[in-house]
Formats: sequence, structure tokens, C-alpha cells
Amino acid sequence: MELFGIWVAAFLTLCIYSFLYRDNPFYRFAEHLFVGISVGYGIVIAIHQGVIPLAWQPLSEAVSALWTEITGETTPEIRSALWGLFKIIPIAFGLLFFARLSPRHNWLVRYPIAILIGFGAGIAIPNMLQANIFEQTRATIEPFGAIGPFVDVPPEARLSALDIFGAILMVIGVICTLTYFFFSVEHRGPINWLSKVGIAFLMIGFGAAFGNTVMGRLALMIHRVGFLINEWIGSFGALF
Amino acid sequence: MLEKFMNMDRRIIFILVALVVIIPTLIPVRLPITVSEPTQKLYDFIEELPSGSTIMMAFDYGPSSLAEPEPMAKAVMQHCFSKGVRVIGMTLYPNTPTLADKLMRKIADENNAVYGQDYVFLGYRPGTLPVILGMGTNIANVFETDYAKTPITEIPIMENITNYDQIDLLLDLSAGSLTEAWIIYANTRYGLKIAAGVTAVIIAQMYPYLQSGQLVGMLPGYLGAAQYEKLLNAPGDGTVGLNTASFAHLLIIVLVILGNVAFFIRQEREA
Amino acid sequence: MKRQVPLALCFLFGIAMILTQFSPHSYSQAVYREVIVWGLIISPFALVLAVATLAQTHVSRIRFRSEHWQYSIVVFVGMITMVCVGVPFGPKNSVFEWLYDNVQVPMDATMFSLLAFFIASAAFRAFRARAFEATLLLIAAMIVMLGNVPVGDLFWNKLLSLIPGSDNPESWVNSFADGASRFRQWILDIPNGAARRGIILGVSLGVISQSIRIILGIERSYLGGGD
Repeated sequence: MELFGIWVAAFLTLCIYSFLYRDNPFYRFAEHLFVGISVGYGIVIAIHQGVIPLAWQPLSEAVSALWTEITGETTPEIRSALWGLFKIIPIAFGLLFFARLSPRHNWLVRYPIAILIGFGAGIAIPNMLQANIFEQTRATIEPFGAIGPFVDVPPEARLSALDIFGAILMVIGVICTLTYFFFSVEHRGPINWLSKVGIAFLMIGFGAAFGNTVMGRLALMIHRVGFLINEWIGSFGALF
Repeated sequence: MLEKFMNMDRRIIFILVALVVIIPTLIPVRLPITVSEPTQKLYDFIEELPSGSTIMMAFDYGPSSLAEPEPMAKAVMQHCFSKGVRVIGMTLYPNTPTLADKLMRKIADENNAVYGQDYVFLGYRPGTLPVILGMGTNIANVFETDYAKTPITEIPIMENITNYDQIDLLLDLSAGSLTEAWIIYANTRYGLKIAAGVTAVIIAQMYPYLQSGQLVGMLPGYLGAAQYEKLLNAPGDGTVGLNTASFAHLLIIVLVILGNVAFFIRQEREA
Repeated sequence: MKRQVPLALCFLFGIAMILTQFSPHSYSQAVYREVIVWGLIISPFALVLAVATLAQTHVSRIRFRSEHWQYSIVVFVGMITMVCVGVPFGPKNSVFEWLYDNVQVPMDATMFSLLAFFIASAAFRAFRARAFEATLLLIAAMIVMLGNVPVGDLFWNKLLSLIPGSDNPESWVNSFADGASRFRQWILDIPNGAARRGIILGVSLGVISQSIRIILGIERSYLGGGD
């Protein structure tokens, strides 16, 4: 079965690589099979790793606790399990997502979306402010606290000339990049110059990202070629 | 001639790319690897953890990008198991649970680690933010069972673990922007220490967080995996992959130079 | 009912998440935990809907006999097989795992590995030093590419060894060893770090202001069209 699996995987891999020559039925078959299998996998995972453990299970436990309560064999644990019945409210909101499938009632989908959007927006404000504004600003300024001899820091903790240059460049880069994204004023005169320096920093950043992307894309290919050579061609010996 | 060269069939380039990957795969080479600071920091952090510590590993990548995070996971888990550091795995990607579960078991088998005692895989829960925040208050509220549906109250490794307070580090093996979500919601809200093992595509955007100390360390793509393997003195898939990638990188650099030389010659002629 | 209730829900949940962040009181923390539980329960349904919507697209392709509609049947065969095996027997079923390992994973990985070929082709055709900014981008990319692979330092150190006196371990030349990876690191740390930090600050300010507008009901695009 394992050997058969390797051959199936190799066949499908080659079907997809055939696209490099040109679009063809083998590629289209593999592409659509991939979509189908992925969607099927997604449904199974959403049910078994989402709906069942987070909604169905707690609710069914609460319902069985209610039944025990009704039949009179109650304990403090069963009483506290009854609180689980309140989960029917978020479950009902969750089920409203399926209103999307009905043209007449699809406005109901706004309810669960509004809850999730409100939740996300509310939690983002204080945490993003702290993590991305305060912390990042602190990190930009903090190195200047370690520049001797004007500041009282031990000699071994003082920044080297290259580090000081880097810290200054960092401040210039952050201010200029922010200026480039500041569209509320017209980019003329000094603002224009600052934003041009900002573009230079951005270009170096994007260049670095491109350089890294090359490594990332090649890694994906090396992995597949490694599979074809080591596992698939390597399995020929077991066949013949 | 020049026009012909500049407009050559792209399939010729495809063949060249295939060759520079296939040949080094068939005839592997070993080149010296230099360890960068972000990798060293992560290694040092784990090295200093006492035996019995716990790290959480988030497998936040899909099958589309498994080439880079898998060798990272292997190297870090090998390091953890050798030091008696326990590993809790989970994922925020819906198409990853099977992949992560099997990977953890495979690495554990290679290192004689025992499921439930040295490591556990909790699985996947939808929603990202509620999952990250929910585990901060109580992991059992989010994962009442592990991926194999064993109640976490019956898993020895989870005995003394309630929330992030008992976790020493979260390593996010990520192919997208989820590392930022971990930083913003788990580090800022709960003080959980975060490290990243990211695919090369998102390395550049992680640097501000490294410099600010919000990330304790980072493994940058294949390079990070190879560097970690070097620190462990155990070359693996990362080292092989990086050495193979060397030749393809050289080809792309040569292609860029040739493309530009041809472009400038044409401009000169037109002028 | 159609717009006011969602706006009120959004306001309520948003405010709850902000206020509970700043209050350690046990009631406040109980609300915080409860809201998270609501988020956890509602989210899986969104995921089910997302995959169901994708399936719906292929139903309409088959129904209206769109171009290559036959392939949508392949989509359904794949989907139904996975659902029929996975839903009753669970995701740890061996047939389900076999299909995932030998069909889904190899195809997903291969699909994205095609990008390696296209990025090489694009590097040859489009990566030109046409202007100053493009030249900066190109130089940074080349340095990072060289620094990312061991062959970069190998070449650099070979070049250094050609400088007279480099065979002496005390020589100043040796302090420049491994230049490709060190220069790569500097580019990523400083100029790239500054640009990314600028982007992070800008984007975060945008997200925060947008979040305030959403909670206050000024930004309503998430409600979609209609009444």
C-alpha cells in the first residue's frame, strides 16, 4: 500500500508539473482532484476538530446533565454542567452562518459576522497598540540609551560605531517610510525628500523579501524533486 | 540575436532550473554553513531550558509550504527531546492536523520519545484569535481532548499545565502572518515568549520583532533549519536542501545579470 | 432588525473586549472568558460555510455547463470520498490519512513548487535596473540571495584569500570573512527592519482606527449591501 501511495503521489506530481510545458487535461484533472480532496478534508476537520468538540459535545453533555437533573439523581457536578445549556445561544448564532445559502434570509448571516468582527476589533485595539505601536517605537529609540560616553552605561554594553550608525539609520528609515505613507499632506519640499528616502528604504526591504522568496520557492521545488528522485525512483528497485 | 536571447522560450529557463536542482540532488555536496544570530538565539534559549520544561509548537503551515518548516521541526524537537524538554503541538491551519500529527510521531520515534509523556499533539481548532486567547486562560477550554480524542486530563504531560503560564516558549512554525498574531495576542496579552520558524517568504517582515525582543529567536527558512542542524551537529534535510539550493541561487543570479546586460546593450543600441 | 441588531452586537462585543482588557476584576474576567468561548463556538460554523460555498461554486458550474464543467465532477468525487470516509470514521482513519498523504499533500506541495520555475523566468525577464529605486531593489535582492546560501560565503572568502597577507590569521583581511552572510544580515536588520517597522506602524494605526470605526458603527461595510 505504501509503494502504491508513492506511485499515486508521483503520478499526480508529474501531472501538475506537466503544466510547465502547457495547460493540459492531466494538469486540469489533478488540479480539480486536489480542490475536491482539500474541500472534503476541510469539511471533515471542521466537523471533527471544530463543531463536535466545541459545540456538539458540550451541549450534549449539558443535555444529558439536564436529563439526570429531571430524573432526580443530581449532584453538584451535574448542576454546574447545566450551565453548558447556555452554549445553545452561541451555537444558534453560529448556525445563522448557513442563512447565507438562502437568498431570502441571508441577512441573518450579519449576526455571527458582527459578533466575530466586534470581538476582533475590540481585542485588536489595546493589544495592537501595545505590541505594534508602543513596543516598536520603544525598540527604535532604545538603542540610544546605550551610547557612551554621554549615558551612564558600562563600557561593555556600549554600542559600537557600526551599531550607532545602524540605530541612526533605523530612526531615519522609520520616519521616512512613515512619511511616504502619510498622504494627508501634499508631498512637496522637505516632505517630498523624506518620502523619497522612505521609498529607498522600502525598495531595499522589498529587494530583501524578493531574495528570500527565491529561497522559499526553490525550497518547495527541491522538496518535490527530492521526493521524485529518492522515493519514487528509489522505489523502482522494489518493483523489479 | 539579442532580441532572440531576451525573448527566449521560458521553457528553456524551466529546463535549466530543473537541471540545477536535479543534479545536486543526485550528487549531494557539503558546503560550510555560517550560523546567523536569530538562529543562535533560539538555540541558546532552548539550550538553557532545564529538563522538564515545556515548549509549545504551533504547526501553522499547510502542505503547500512544508518543505522548510519540517526540517526545522525535526531539528528543534530533536534538541528538546535530548534535553528532556517536553513538546506540545497544535495547529491553527485547517489543512495541517494530519501532517503535524504524523510528523511529530515520526520525529518522536526517531528520538525514542513517548507520546503523552514527552510530547502531545492537541490538533486544530478553528478561529485563530479565540484559540490563541482561549488557551491563555485555560488550554482545556479550547482543547478538551488531544487529536486522538484522549481527554487531556488523562495525558501525563498536561498534568500541571493549565495555560501559558506553564509554557516556557511558543515556537511558531509559520508560512503566513500568524506569527504576528501570536506576538500581538499571546505575547502582549499573556507574556508568553515567542520564537518563529518561518518560511523564507516572510523572513523580512519578522525583523522588527526580533530587534524589539518580541521574538526570542528565529529560524529563517531552509537556512535556519540548516543552521540549527549545524548547531546540533546533526546534518539533515535542511542542510541537504540548502546546499542543493546554492546552485539554483547561482543560476538565478546569473539570469538576472544576463537579463540586465542584454537590456543595457539594447538600450545603448537604441540610443 | 437587519442592520441595527448586528451593529449593536458588534458594539457590545467590541466594548466588552476592550474593557475586560483593563479590569482584573473577577466579573470582568468571567465576561472576557465567556466572550472567547462564544468566539470559539461560532468560528467552526464559519469554516463549514466557507467549504460549503466552494462546493456550491462547482455545483453551479456543472448545472450551467460552464467551460471544463466535467472537471467539477472530479471535484465532487474527491470531496465526497473524503467526507464519506472522514465524517463517520474520523480524521485518524487510515484510508482518510492515506488519501491525505498521497493525494492532497503531494499535489498541494507540487502546485506551489511551480512558482520556483516562474520566479526564475521572471528574474530573467522583468528584474531590470531601470531606475535608481529598481537598482536598489535589485542589489538588495542579489546580496540577500548570495547570503542565504553557503556558496555566497564560499565565493567571498575565496576572493578575500586572493588579497596578499590573508593567510596570516592575525591579518585585518580575516575580519571581513563570511561577508555575504554578514552583509545579508545587516540589510535585513537595518534598512529592511526600518522599512518593515514603518509599514507595521502605519498598518497598525490603520487597523486601530478602523477597529474604532467598526465598533462605533461608522464603518459598516462588513454588513454587505441591501437593507
